[in-house]
Amino acid sequence: MPEPVYFDHAATTPVREEVLAAMQPFFGPRFGNPSSMHRWGREARTALDEARERVGRCLGASPDEIVFTSCGTEADNMALIGVWRARRGEAGRRAAVSTPIEHKAVLGALHEIAKEGGEERLLAVDPNGRVEAASFDALVREDAAVCSVMWVNNEIGTLQDVPSMAERARSRGVVFHTDAVQAFGKVEIDARRTPFDLLSISGHKIGAPKGIGALFIRRGTPMEPLLFGGSQDRGRRPGTENVAMAVGLAVAAELAVAEREEECRRLEALRDRLESAVLARVPDAVIHGRSVSRAPHISNISAPGTESESMLIALDLRGIACSAGSACQSGSITPSHVLAAIGVSTDVAKAAIRFSLGALTTDASIDRVAEVFPMLVEKARRLAPA
Amino acid sequence: MRERVLVAMSGGVDSSVAAALLVRQGYDVVGATMKLFCHGEDLPDRPCCSLDSVNDARRVCEQLGIPHYVLNLESAFGHDVVQDFVDEYARGRTPIPCVRCNTFTKFRDLVRRADAIDARWVATGHYARVIDGMLHRGLDPAKDQSYFLWGIDRRVLARMLLPVGAQTKAETRAIAHELGLELIAEKRESQDICFVPDGDHTRVIARTLGADTPALARGPLMLRDGTVVGEHAGYARFTVGQRRGLPGGFPEPMFVVAIEPATRAVVIGPRDELLGRGVVAREVNWLVSPAPDVGDEVAVQIRHRARATPGTLVRVSDSEVEVALEEPASAISPGQSCVFYDGERVVGGGVIALGRRELPVRAA
Repeated sequence: MPEPVYFDHAATTPVREEVLAAMQPFFGPRFGNPSSMHRWGREARTALDEARERVGRCLGASPDEIVFTSCGTEADNMALIGVWRARRGEAGRRAAVSTPIEHKAVLGALHEIAKEGGEERLLAVDPNGRVEAASFDALVREDAAVCSVMWVNNEIGTLQDVPSMAERARSRGVVFHTDAVQAFGKVEIDARRTPFDLLSISGHKIGAPKGIGALFIRRGTPMEPLLFGGSQDRGRRPGTENVAMAVGLAVAAELAVAEREEECRRLEALRDRLESAVLARVPDAVIHGRSVSRAPHISNISAPGTESESMLIALDLRGIACSAGSACQSGSITPSHVLAAIGVSTDVAKAAIRFSLGALTTDASIDRVAEVFPMLVEKARRLAPA
Repeated sequence: MRERVLVAMSGGVDSSVAAALLVRQGYDVVGATMKLFCHGEDLPDRPCCSLDSVNDARRVCEQLGIPHYVLNLESAFGHDVVQDFVDEYARGRTPIPCVRCNTFTKFRDLVRRADAIDARWVATGHYARVIDGMLHRGLDPAKDQSYFLWGIDRRVLARMLLPVGAQTKAETRAIAHELGLELIAEKRESQDICFVPDGDHTRVIARTLGADTPALARGPLMLRDGTVVGEHAGYARFTVGQRRGLPGGFPEPMFVVAIEPATRAVVIGPRDELLGRGVVAREVNWLVSPAPDVGDEVAVQIRHRARATPGTLVRVSDSEVEVALEEPASAISPGQSCVFYDGERVVGGGVIALGRRELPVRAA
């Protein structure tokens, strides 16, 4: 079998060499606890502060507006639940608003808010996964505490008009959060120009290790912590800071920002080539979200008459790694809630395969998929029970 | 090129050793654990989706250096196996879900998955053997599982590998140790029906049909002559031949001899009322060709772990078969399987529709 190829960058990415090198000292001599007053502590504190500044710069934010978290999920949870709890006392602001196509990290937080007495509202989305403006205006009103809309959808890549939504939310006094885990490094993000109040990013999607994320919290945003204990990070996020990973995230974020435009052009060309090649041999393939602006690294394709699970296995056995829907804890595939929410029929949704491109994607790997995927589609269709 | 085999792996010792033996024999082995049901939050102390089994299977595959996948067959299994299980109880019968799982899930749906990955073979950890394309009892009489396999499509036999069927359980465990599969080598045998993990099948019935289903409602306990002698808490709690849960105070021990869903009656009687001389079986499937015919002699097994006894086919149609038993059999339970053997070879079988007390005679 030829060398396996990786088409699952939206799931996770390899740690970049520069990132690994920058983290190395903190697993060795610079092991200190940033809260200690001695020289080891000071060294760690300096590195942490610097990492916070660097991540802040990448987002157009001040260092004090950056909280390091253990992952994107924690950042999303903190954003929604933290704001909702902090605003509980405000009369008449009981609703939390989001979309049905969010990552489970946001949907789960929303359910938690509902358990705590909040009102859960979901915005209407069109068949391409874009939030409908009328629905936004109807649901994001003066009675809402917080609203969360993901910038780039992790399954289909659709881009939302975050600047406009952030603006409208602000005018109604609703705190606006965006999950930018898939958007960072693909979309220009500047907190000085776009009035979002909170924004989540995750390290392992951009070449840092798993186990580090960050939440941007605009100054003045009401926020209660989810964890309780020490005074780290102004008490917003108690727990000894993960210095090495924070440094790793800072390096990865800077590289992603610096390379953004060129990398996006490269990925877009590769993605377009992949999609044309698939369509040429599987003309009835459905490419989700294709008619609206999308991030360049995600291509979600359904070949009607096939089934994701068997396709993924067949692809993997031929050395092509990609994914579908969301995996349950056992690792089995469950139908995508995103595709269901944008009105894709069950038959088409259950055939969806997500190819996500990134650092490891080359012309040669696109050629592999362009050759193997249509062949497997034809084969699956031949075998399908009539 | 090495031939590919898809192995159904439960995380237990039998299927793990089956996979290991196939690797040793040089096959291109792909391991798969079928996700068949999800307890969700019903059983808080048990992980959802048989997570432990999946993890064990995954670790064994990793150790064997083969890929492992989880196949989501929940919806088909729910329809083909769980729903039928519940419906059968509602009809006053005692189903064997493992038979239907083998017929529909393992040796139909799994075979389709095998096709999708170009696997020439499918394998399981069953104690049974395929010899010259025909199904035989497992070599270890204490472990033989051929009774549960009568329903599979005969054409699948040509693609089936049952690597542990020609050895004893002790040998299987020894091989597991020898291969360093310590994780699962001494794993306890599961006795429960997989989707009824707490052993209480009435919970599954209540969840599916509603707690107020007639199958779980109170009804009369009566004798054959119609005399009501008490009350029971739902006929789905009983099976023909059962003694447990019946009132005492009779001159001899009493057993369930019939269940009548129309009146919710559970009929009880002394041991001799359990004896039958004929069996009518439906959903018949033959594993030999040509299929047997009226007048053929077969060995008949009406229960797992029962002895097969001599009988003669007295009526054979596409859907139904009737067999006369040379000696009386006790507790012919509707819903259980009636499996026909020729020596070690499985000829076919069916689902018991009813037992006859009189010796049936061959149709003229």
